[in-house]
Amino acid sequence: MSIKILTVDDSKTIRLIVAKALKPFDCKVLEADNGVVGLAVASREKPDLILLDYTMPVMDGFEVLARLRSDGDLRGTPVIMLTAEAARETVVKIAKQGVRDYLIKPFKAEMLVERVGRVVDLRARNAATEKRKRFDDPISILVVDDKPAIAEQIRAGLADTPWQVSSADQPGHALDICMEKEVDLVLASLSLPNEGAYTLFQNLRGCAGTASLPVLAMSVRTAAAEQARAQQAGFAGIVTKPIDADDVRARVCRTLNLETSYKYFQQRDGILALILPKDFNAGVAQEVTTHLEPQLAGIVDAGGNKLIIDLGSVEAASLPVIELAIFAVRAAAKLSLRFAVVCSDAIKEQCRSYEDTQSWLFAGSFEQALALLK
Amino acid sequence: MAWQIEKIEQLTGEAVEEVFRSMLSMEVQAEAPAPLPDDPAGQMIGSVGFIGGTTGILCLFAGVGFARLLTSRMLGIPLSEVDEGDMLNDAVGELSNMVAGHVKSRLCDGDASCTLTIPSVVRGQQLRVEGPAQVTRRVLGFRHGQDHLLAEVLIKDSSAKKL
Repeated sequence: MSIKILTVDDSKTIRLIVAKALKPFDCKVLEADNGVVGLAVASREKPDLILLDYTMPVMDGFEVLARLRSDGDLRGTPVIMLTAEAARETVVKIAKQGVRDYLIKPFKAEMLVERVGRVVDLRARNAATEKRKRFDDPISILVVDDKPAIAEQIRAGLADTPWQVSSADQPGHALDICMEKEVDLVLASLSLPNEGAYTLFQNLRGCAGTASLPVLAMSVRTAAAEQARAQQAGFAGIVTKPIDADDVRARVCRTLNLETSYKYFQQRDGILALILPKDFNAGVAQEVTTHLEPQLAGIVDAGGNKLIIDLGSVEAASLPVIELAIFAVRAAAKLSLRFAVVCSDAIKEQCRSYEDTQSWLFAGSFEQALALLK
Repeated sequence: MAWQIEKIEQLTGEAVEEVFRSMLSMEVQAEAPAPLPDDPAGQMIGSVGFIGGTTGILCLFAGVGFARLLTSRMLGIPLSEVDEGDMLNDAVGELSNMVAGHVKSRLCDGDASCTLTIPSVVRGQQLRVEGPAQVTRRVLGFRHGQDHLLAEVLIKDSSAKKL
């Protein structure tokens, strides 16, 4: 059951900021715009935590707190006080009433989450309940680099995807774009002047609307120390320069946890088909490896018992292709799945040069493979 | 009185910079105060009073266009989603409250105990705040890019009987 957090504040702005900051977490945020309403909601809903403003009309936070402490049912409800007044006398006064913590406005969203997380067990909202984006969904990527050529290279490299690539040449402009548009991922160059990538990263983390926006750092391939520092700072990953479009694509997929299995796997009539594409590369191998076991388990769970590995599109039975096929065959064997490989005669000959493939069943077409597995 | 005015002026400058940095992720630069440029949508004033050892009022002035940007940043929503009514008023009021709260906290720690009032917001054209003769006024100017903001503090002269 979700945690209930009640925010009592006469400012709609603060209530909105609180609700946005807690949106990524599995909790229900209840609102009240003054102390009287807050007490009524608390009495009815029995929240796990109350975020209470100090200065409010009708009934101020101090009086709300006093009434909570004299209510048998609500006496133990933890309260975090939000106040624009950090004066010693105010702090001492509210501390005497037994608040769990207090937060001085202005505050950053991450600070609120951190304080709330000390009192209640905040857990990320179950990703399974939210629709996972697919590789072929429109994704908005913002490239932040003072060299326009980098954004152009990324845009050209991703031209065969439905992804939109926009660009900004300095952090302030990038922050404005992130506020204005629905941006899914930011690529920020570590070579921006005055540590601009770090400034942008911190500013994004400080805003409720962008606090969880993933940011990848771009760095020259050999700048290992710079990359390590960025990862320590919390960047979601590193894209190296010179830009490799396949690498960017793979990192975007991984960072956004995009659904890509449909590109390589098809299930029908109790058969799982693993189809390797013509443009096979390390990124494809990684994606297939990630999805393979769940896909095999899925076909077994559905009553199926056959795997067809389709190498019909690959240009050559290179070592990485063979290694991936062997990995798939071994995983299928663990589940007692029967398998066959579809490929041309030329690929079949190349496969035969590897010892592990000697027992494989080869077919020239999907239908022939089906017949072999009957 | 003189030390209070100087202190409040200094604290107000610090408070505006801190609130903009923390809540809006924006840097503002202090500049010489000057009338705000004309904004066809009008101007807004967010004001919060303080009463006690020090009595006065702190007002933030901004064009409506800049106020919309501040609201957008504060709430983390696109500019196009900023509601021209309550949302804008509430955000400007809350910003004023935070700035006044920052000033008040440090004043109280300096033995000039006071209480804050609930924020209020006024919208219109060519707004200005008038005070009686026994009031000392300080105006601070700030700039963010092409946008400007004024913070005005009116402090009641401790020798005067009424503000």
